[in-house]
Amino acid sequence: MATRRDAGDELAYAAELMNQVVKGFEDQVRIGLHVCRGNWSKREDVLISGDYQPLVSCFSQMNVKQLVLEYATPRAGDLAIIGKEFHEREIGLGVCNPRTDQAESVKEIAERVRDALMFWSPEKIFLNPDCGFGCFANRCVNEEQVAFEKLKAMVGAAKLARAELRG
Amino acid sequence: MQFPVTQVGSWPRSPKLLAALRERRSGRMPANQFKTVADQAIQHCVDLQHQAGVDYVVDGELRRDSFYSFLTEKVEGTQLMSLAEMLDTVEDKAAFEEMLQTLDAPAFAIRNPTCVGKLRRRESLAVDELKFLRSLTDRPVKVTLPGPYLLTRAMWVTAYSVDAYGDKPAMADDIVAILRAELAELVAHHVEFVQFDEPVLTEIVHSSDDKRRTFM
Repeated sequence: MATRRDAGDELAYAAELMNQVVKGFEDQVRIGLHVCRGNWSKREDVLISGDYQPLVSCFSQMNVKQLVLEYATPRAGDLAIIGKEFHEREIGLGVCNPRTDQAESVKEIAERVRDALMFWSPEKIFLNPDCGFGCFANRCVNEEQVAFEKLKAMVGAAKLARAELRG
Repeated sequence: MQFPVTQVGSWPRSPKLLAALRERRSGRMPANQFKTVADQAIQHCVDLQHQAGVDYVVDGELRRDSFYSFLTEKVEGTQLMSLAEMLDTVEDKAAFEEMLQTLDAPAFAIRNPTCVGKLRRRESLAVDELKFLRSLTDRPVKVTLPGPYLLTRAMWVTAYSVDAYGDKPAMADDIVAILRAELAELVAHHVEFVQFDEPVLTEIVHSSDDKRRTFM
């Protein structure tokens, strides 16, 4: 739970704290940063909306190898904002909404992967859901069977994308 | 590898695990008994990831109250508080309650790891999770930790934290030290991937109302 202060100062502070934590470890382990827009409700209308543009400078200051970002909801905005700036880093591409009852199709996930290939090489693109399937102990945002179907769809899409690259 | 598949961290909990978490929280279930239930749940979660063909495996955060509030079990100087309990520290209670309803926030499900004293890592945060996960899979693994900014923002509740630290940055220094110690241990145990969760960054830039809070 948190209250809001001046955005610029807070973002600089967030980057500073992260860099203090990871200093000296950057080359020893893959370090990722996960950002999303909330995962406390299945109601889309109450979760935060807005693209990553205002966070670009904060991300660029942070010494993390991978950005693990929500992208399976239109509330996250255009992939190009991150793609143009951070193609040298890895992207943990959010391709499943962890809060919906229906698994995304292999076809639509593969489409997202093709979008990402415009900015990143295949080794730099990780596939993951937008956030966790559980999060808060007595309010999980999904059922195990649906989560399992979503994992299978991501694996299917990864296979399809690998096959397409082989031609 | 091209397009490795992984997860962000948490996995849905079974009714059995939810009951065990509740019993554990209230002190009615001994640690070893809880561990048995959680171990089984994690084994099942890892089996499903193997079946699905995931490349980087997670433990589903199934031992944790939430992805960050579990700190209270590992770090001295903390107390797990429900939003309902924290209502005591809010000045405009009516507005706060209204906002909880408007945002569909589960006031009794979300618990905050409030700083109530000097913070000290009593035991590792996630090394046990890593070791157990390793015993279940030959695949590379991802371990998630709450980011230092999220923790600083969440743990500081002036009414409870000011006596121990005076101000928030002083508390943040100890949070950084705790996370660095954790990262060093995880690296020593050859973890492949550590993910820091900083979901509140979007809240800083995208909530238009100064008074608005979010829950993550």
